[in-house]
Amino acid sequence: MRPALAYRHVPGPLGDGGALAAGCYCAALASVALVSSDPILLAAAAAAVVVAGHLAGAGRALVVALRWGAGLGVILIVVNGLTSQRGDTVLVHGIVLPLLGNVDISAEALAEGGVLAARLAIVMVAFAVHAASVDPDRVMRLLRPLAARSALTATLIARMVPLAARDYARLGEAAALRGPLAAPAGRAVIARRLVAGSLDRAIDVAATLELRGYGSGVPRSAERARRSRHDGALLLAALGIAAVGFGTQLAGLGSFDAYPRLSMDAGLATIGAALLLPLAAALPFAAARILEMRRG
Amino acid sequence: MIAGRGLAAAGALAGALAAAGCGLGPGRDSQGTATLEVTRDYGTQELASASETDPSESETVLRFLDRETDITTRYGGGFVQSIDGLAGQSGGSRVQDWFFYRNGIESPVGSADVRIRGGDRIWWDYRDWTDAMRVPAVVGSFPQPFTEAGRITPVQCAARVTICDEVVAQLADANVRAQVSRSLERTETPRVVVGTWSRIRSDPAVAQLADGPATSGVFARFSRSSLQFLDVRAQTAHLAGPRAGLVAAVRLGDDPPTWVVTGGNERGVAAGAKLVRGDVLDHSYAVASDGGIPVPLPMTPQGSL
Repeated sequence: MRPALAYRHVPGPLGDGGALAAGCYCAALASVALVSSDPILLAAAAAAVVVAGHLAGAGRALVVALRWGAGLGVILIVVNGLTSQRGDTVLVHGIVLPLLGNVDISAEALAEGGVLAARLAIVMVAFAVHAASVDPDRVMRLLRPLAARSALTATLIARMVPLAARDYARLGEAAALRGPLAAPAGRAVIARRLVAGSLDRAIDVAATLELRGYGSGVPRSAERARRSRHDGALLLAALGIAAVGFGTQLAGLGSFDAYPRLSMDAGLATIGAALLLPLAAALPFAAARILEMRRG
Repeated sequence: MIAGRGLAAAGALAGALAAAGCGLGPGRDSQGTATLEVTRDYGTQELASASETDPSESETVLRFLDRETDITTRYGGGFVQSIDGLAGQSGGSRVQDWFFYRNGIESPVGSADVRIRGGDRIWWDYRDWTDAMRVPAVVGSFPQPFTEAGRITPVQCAARVTICDEVVAQLADANVRAQVSRSLERTETPRVVVGTWSRIRSDPAVAQLADGPATSGVFARFSRSSLQFLDVRAQTAHLAGPRAGLVAAVRLGDDPPTWVVTGGNERGVAAGAKLVRGDVLDHSYAVASDGGIPVPLPMTPQGSL
């Protein structure tokens, strides 16, 4: 089965757009979570990445990234709740833990953990959407003139991940076909065999890449920036999303303080700015739909 | 099945928490008023003050400060880096940071780990600690640490009885029960040692004064029977005569603080005894007097005689 985060071409702005424009679009989505702590803006940024992932046909990547984000988020909330001893609203007091000593859990510490978790999840989902929707070959081609060796290494890794997944599946099938008397082969055994053979497989992939000309300078095709009809809308959306993210910070909107008591900016300007995020995220897809309707 | 496991896990967790002595909410209130003072430069400039009636069981120094001022923290939130924008500095040849005292005793742990009870006096001070990394005890939270101990304060007297009686009376005015004894010895409660420098310097805690601020945390030093008032750079700022008195707090290891009321001679000790008053000691690390004028130590340009 294809890994959820593996690239699958889906026609649309992210699938057919230029690597630079698509990268800017996804990076802009992630940047909102990196610069803002305001729950309203974060909720809007989360809605924006979900809209982007859904419209780009990366539903599985979205679900997997959200699941990972939720798992890590729970850990972050628990750890922050136990380690941050600030916050006026004490929910539980006097817990004695090894190493940490006497700790209290406050609503503010949990809320701060929740905000951190949301920021992490949004960044994860944005990059998951990018990984599942944007052709990695195009990304490598984009980076190759800038850093040929790094691009080669990244290409090798990008090729190795799906290859390893397929090898794992084949080894599992082979183990299952040995007959009922054979000792069961657990995941660890198969993974060990996979790692043992990975160097050979990497050399195979590297040789194949070399045969295809990866070691012989930058091809002309890579030097020419490949334009797509979606690039304009993607870059415009990226600009709009980044403008909302950074603009609210520069304008002093979307402030959030967990301590000593929770306080956040829930003014009309912040809410209005937040509403723009999912709209901006949907812009390239709406533009593509309009173009298709005009053509059709 | 899953619901049953969840209930069992929740029950086990609740049991573990209960066994650990924790509870829901902020916990029971303690009786009394806790105070917070924020100053800089060895207490010479007051920046903020607040009080809290009947603080709860979960109240900590960090929470109290956080509520009254704007702070930033480091090292996982337990240590305060800045208060109201005034941050610790380590650049250049001098280093400055925030330190706090609970009932006149420097805390060995972060402010998140120090619980507050009614009657506690919390004092945050931003100071240059280049020449005195540790100032383990101060006199500026009087009548603490004596009232916290809740026991009779030993006044170990190596001076005229009248002087020691005056110290006892001054303590009584501040609701501190005290009793005079004639021997110098370590105690399990904070004590007051009264006597001329030559007679009390044999006490190990008091003897730290001879080694200067780096050891004792007190910006005063005796040269024979003359008292030197030091500035924040541990340089002599004023050379007082033998009639100068001193009230300072020192601490030997983890022992309770030892307050020292001393001078070069009996008149100096008597001058020191007159300083044991809340209005004189407030916000001071140590206080000396020369010619009857109280001088907070370390000496600053404002405090010059």
